[in-house]
Amino acid sequence: MAIDKQSQHSAPSRSLVGDRGWLPRIRLAGQRSLTRYRIPFTRRTWFQGHAVVNPRDLTRQYKLDDKRPWFWIGGLIAALIIPILVGTNLALTAATTFALYAAINLMWMLVIGTAGIFSLATLAVVGASAYLAAWFSIEFGITWPVMLLLGTLVGLLFGAIIGLPALRIDGLYFALLTMGVVELCRVYVLQSRTFGSATGGLYGADTFIPVAWQLKTPGLILGYVAAFAVMLAMLGIYRLVNGQRLGLLLATARESEATAEALGINYQRARFTVFLISSAGLGFIGGFYATYFKGASPSLFSIDQVMLLFAMIVIGGLGRAEGAVVGTGVVVVLDKMFTEFGPIRFIVIGLIMLGVTLFARNGLFGIRDQFVEFRNKKKSERRSGRTEKGGEPLPEEATEIRDKDQIYFRRFDKRLRDHLKTLVTPEVIEEHRLKPLGQHSDPLERVLNYFRGAGGENKYVLYELKANTEYKIIVTTGEKGIPPRDVDSTIYTSKNEALHAVFLKRVQDLMDS
Amino acid sequence: MAKIVLTGYCDRFSVKPGEDISFMVSAEGTKTAEVQLVRLIHGDENPEGPGFIEKEVDGPIDGSHSVRKQHTQAGSFARIDDPDTRLALGQAFTLWAMIWPTTPEKGRQGILARWSITHDRGYALGINGDGQLEFWVGDGKKTDAVHAEVPLRPRQWYLVAVSYDPKSGQATLYQERVETRYGNLLSKITPLDMNSHVTEALRIRPADAELDFLMAGCHDHNADRGDFIGQLYNGKIDRCGVVGRAMSRADLDAMLQEVTQPADVIAHWDTSEGYSDKGIGDDIVDTGPNKLHGRGHNRPVRGATGYNWNGRDDCFRLAPHQFGGVWFHDDSMLDCQWKATFSMTLPDLKSGVYAARLQAGDTIEHLPFFVRPKKPGSAIAMLIPTCSYLAYANDRLGLEFPTSQLVSAHVPVFHEWDIELSKHPEYASSTYDTYSDGAGVCYSSRLRPIFNMRPKHRMAGTAVAWQFPADMSIIYWLETKGYDYDVITDEDLHREGKDCLSPYQVVINGTHAEYYSERMLDATEDYLAEGGRVMYLSGNGYYWAVSFREDDLSCMEVRKLDSGSRAWQALPGEHYMASNGERSGIWRNRGRPPQKIVGTGFTSEGMDESKPYRRMPDSYHKSVAWIFEGVEEELIGDFGLAAGGAAGIEIDRYDLTLGTPPHTRILASSEGHSDSYPRVSEEIAFNFPGQGGTQHYHIRADMTYFTTLNNGAVWSPSSIAWGQALPWNNGDNNVSRVMANVLDAFAKPGPLPGAEYHAEEKHWK
Repeated sequence: MAIDKQSQHSAPSRSLVGDRGWLPRIRLAGQRSLTRYRIPFTRRTWFQGHAVVNPRDLTRQYKLDDKRPWFWIGGLIAALIIPILVGTNLALTAATTFALYAAINLMWMLVIGTAGIFSLATLAVVGASAYLAAWFSIEFGITWPVMLLLGTLVGLLFGAIIGLPALRIDGLYFALLTMGVVELCRVYVLQSRTFGSATGGLYGADTFIPVAWQLKTPGLILGYVAAFAVMLAMLGIYRLVNGQRLGLLLATARESEATAEALGINYQRARFTVFLISSAGLGFIGGFYATYFKGASPSLFSIDQVMLLFAMIVIGGLGRAEGAVVGTGVVVVLDKMFTEFGPIRFIVIGLIMLGVTLFARNGLFGIRDQFVEFRNKKKSERRSGRTEKGGEPLPEEATEIRDKDQIYFRRFDKRLRDHLKTLVTPEVIEEHRLKPLGQHSDPLERVLNYFRGAGGENKYVLYELKANTEYKIIVTTGEKGIPPRDVDSTIYTSKNEALHAVFLKRVQDLMDS
Repeated sequence: MAKIVLTGYCDRFSVKPGEDISFMVSAEGTKTAEVQLVRLIHGDENPEGPGFIEKEVDGPIDGSHSVRKQHTQAGSFARIDDPDTRLALGQAFTLWAMIWPTTPEKGRQGILARWSITHDRGYALGINGDGQLEFWVGDGKKTDAVHAEVPLRPRQWYLVAVSYDPKSGQATLYQERVETRYGNLLSKITPLDMNSHVTEALRIRPADAELDFLMAGCHDHNADRGDFIGQLYNGKIDRCGVVGRAMSRADLDAMLQEVTQPADVIAHWDTSEGYSDKGIGDDIVDTGPNKLHGRGHNRPVRGATGYNWNGRDDCFRLAPHQFGGVWFHDDSMLDCQWKATFSMTLPDLKSGVYAARLQAGDTIEHLPFFVRPKKPGSAIAMLIPTCSYLAYANDRLGLEFPTSQLVSAHVPVFHEWDIELSKHPEYASSTYDTYSDGAGVCYSSRLRPIFNMRPKHRMAGTAVAWQFPADMSIIYWLETKGYDYDVITDEDLHREGKDCLSPYQVVINGTHAEYYSERMLDATEDYLAEGGRVMYLSGNGYYWAVSFREDDLSCMEVRKLDSGSRAWQALPGEHYMASNGERSGIWRNRGRPPQKIVGTGFTSEGMDESKPYRRMPDSYHKSVAWIFEGVEEELIGDFGLAAGGAAGIEIDRYDLTLGTPPHTRILASSEGHSDSYPRVSEEIAFNFPGQGGTQHYHIRADMTYFTTLNNGAVWSPSSIAWGQALPWNNGDNNVSRVMANVLDAFAKPGPLPGAEYHAEEKHWK
């Protein structure tokens, strides 16, 4: 029979599908009593996950709603322990640098990412705080906890001074202005006797590291752990500012300032607040810097340091805490651990930056989303190239159809339509026109039965506007409670004429399919 | 200007002079409506007939009445009578229930709840937006909740519970699948873990909601509408209760094995309590010490198979404790409970079909009712098939069941009223529809606007007048031919039995008297046995077995069983009606095929084209030839308002094996039906090709005649389209002539014409 022949030549090319599950599945029998413990003072539970039923084998497995907290915990523990386990002075120094830079970068990201202010004065804030804290310590003998406090205050003040212009001037000009501030600071400390122009820095401040441990491994470990704690504190600040009310307000402002204003959001004030918070954080880091290094050096104000920090953020991905931390890690490891390669390592850093800029849309941590998007795009391209509209699903599509009955229906329906198309002739259409209701020839009955049995989505039906004299064609939606919609404005003056018009539309759709 | 919408209903179908009748009206876009009492004569606007005809009659309701929008509470739920607010529950407690949810994925639903949606107060055990079992509490400002691990599966039995201690805030959910080979959709072989046990310490303590405890819903409020019930649950609730302590896992495990009254019980609803052999009411009995009984609203379906149904006892009368399922539907609606807009004590009106005509702007609405005589005075009774009107009331087939076009063989033709109805799910559906959870609609009531019980209405799917407006063609004919007739309704017949028919020489059925209660059938049979006469004008009549509660004739029940032309099929074990304990389904399968009473029974249906009858040889016998007096033609009824012929839409056939009286004559039979008229499903044991009109000789309408005891007789044209052929050419046609011949003879007491021609035939030719 004709139907069989058609099916053979339209069989799509098929390939095996299916993915092996490599990762073990977390299972928990429903029988077992489960207690969900909550994070104190919140309604959140520690374990943010839920059970899903795997549609392929009906196994109940647990899925984490968000895997990031677990990566954070694992990553941070590793970052804390590995340098201590390695234990060399080089590793510990590099790790401390990493922690401090990461802390600085997190604050910087608040400025650039959250507040949207293009400030390059980040290190200048740190430097100013470090210098003043060191100077006060040397001159007035203040102890290291006071230095931390002083650094924070200096940062806050400094931030207020350079933050104000940001409310008036935009983008590039502000960046240039802050660059000027950085250079001003550098030249100032290089020439100022008070700030150690003669000694290449200001040294002799109080430190939290006991004298006996200084420049020894225990001292370095203590320094690292302290720097790590600073980084954790900055992570906390980043999360509180970016993830909470202020961050959400500014996220709206970034989408559209006009919308934000219309919603009554004072985004300029929010930006300034974020700038102050991050400056205070940077000031604290500066204070810490002074107590760790027992002073401050003019390199804090050098432009190449700013550029190195910038490279870290770009590589990690702007606007993500994990980007700032990991980007810092990558650059610091290259910079500090491979000093024997000399200046070539800066070229490597530059190449990584170039690669990330050219190929990744949002740093290392944007790669996954980008990859998934790319795969989906390829998938739909491939599928559309291999399937026929309304035809049999491919194996990979079939796996996504819940009710397998629909797969057979599509196969059957396609063949039936192909056959019915051969039955539609001018004679059949004329037969219907002459007598839309009642017994018809076999071909016409078959075509009509197909039309009548179709589902309710986009089905042509009639609407009687005026009894017996005015009809129009409408289309049902197939959804309960959603009324049919109009097709066109043609009015038919008799029921038979209208019935035939519906028939012609249905025939048209059949032949087009 | 906003579009004006007027609709409403009467508090009764039939009324006698001197009795009171009230009209409930809801209006949008107007504050007043002009009311006029009218007598309805014809209701079909088919241009081949006389068109719509009404006559204004002076009535006490005439004039301007103020109208307003009236709201309707849809959805079945149960309200617990708790005068001492024992269920405010300040102490530790456990809520537990045997449940069988049908639409867990549909959104938040309350199962056992004392919860105010508007004020976030109280507590509830229910289903959350992700389809999971959830216990939620609210203190009036904030809410807190604990949910189960996996969504509930539809149509599976579970024991669900929450044990809650407000001191510690600890809430423990219990969700265990109930193992049954019968009641669950999925067998135990399906490797699906449906259980969950979760404990969480809630931060919020519930505040007293100060509202009734509900099963299957929560309290809501809206400024326009006032208080109503929302978050309605779909599915069954079987045994359930409230216990005054936090029950342990072991306590609940024991309940799963056997439901018993636990210690410290506050309420223990034994849903299978209070059943009788004659049916089940709306009360849900608390067998605990506090007697906190519940009452179902919008009639939850009782006597449904329970969590412990063994599959062997197939009726709630046989083993009530296995049928404790109370099936709630979020769109079941039995009584709009609107305030009366106007009322009257019926003046001395002639029996007939009347309506209150409402008008505001261009919008006109009729609220029909039937006036019976104070005392039966005519020889002729027109029996209005109100049971069948209920069965089809607000059918949504055309829009919601697109493949019904295969049955009608017609492109549906919609009207304004269909679109309007689709906007009002709260006006409920017909017994041809399903509730939103897929179960068939088994209750239909008249205390709601019925869009298709209006003059001018045409059914979308068939594009012809159906039921009420079709029956108006018979009324028109009686009026035009000047017959003196009384109007009675199915409801009167069910209430009064044979006494309702006895005063009349002849009773005329409507075009489609498909739904019959046992009492109606008994009364008709007894009436015929005592010399009564019936003109069976229906196609597919006396078909479905229906029932009413003894105390409430406003609501009819039917269950569509394993056979018959059915829009749905009742679940196994749910074949008996909760209203009176009777088995439903088609009468043929209960041993009472319509052939036994009126000679013919359902054989086929189709809506594309109706056909004429051709006289059969038996019609030339002198005992029946008088029926065709004045008719020259061989073909009878090659015209009509229902698809162009007198035989069609739904048609019935003579069958000796189904109890057609042996002396029945086939006077005429229709011919030439299309293949869109297939044999009905109850005729088909094995299905095979060739069941359609062009291939099978069973596809025909038989016009039959037979006599009964005491000068009684039945004449059956056996076709829906017959009545709608009567008005053709203003009633001057051969269908009308045959009808008049029969009616004239039947209306006269004494022996029937032709009765003397009973001798043996002595043939010369």
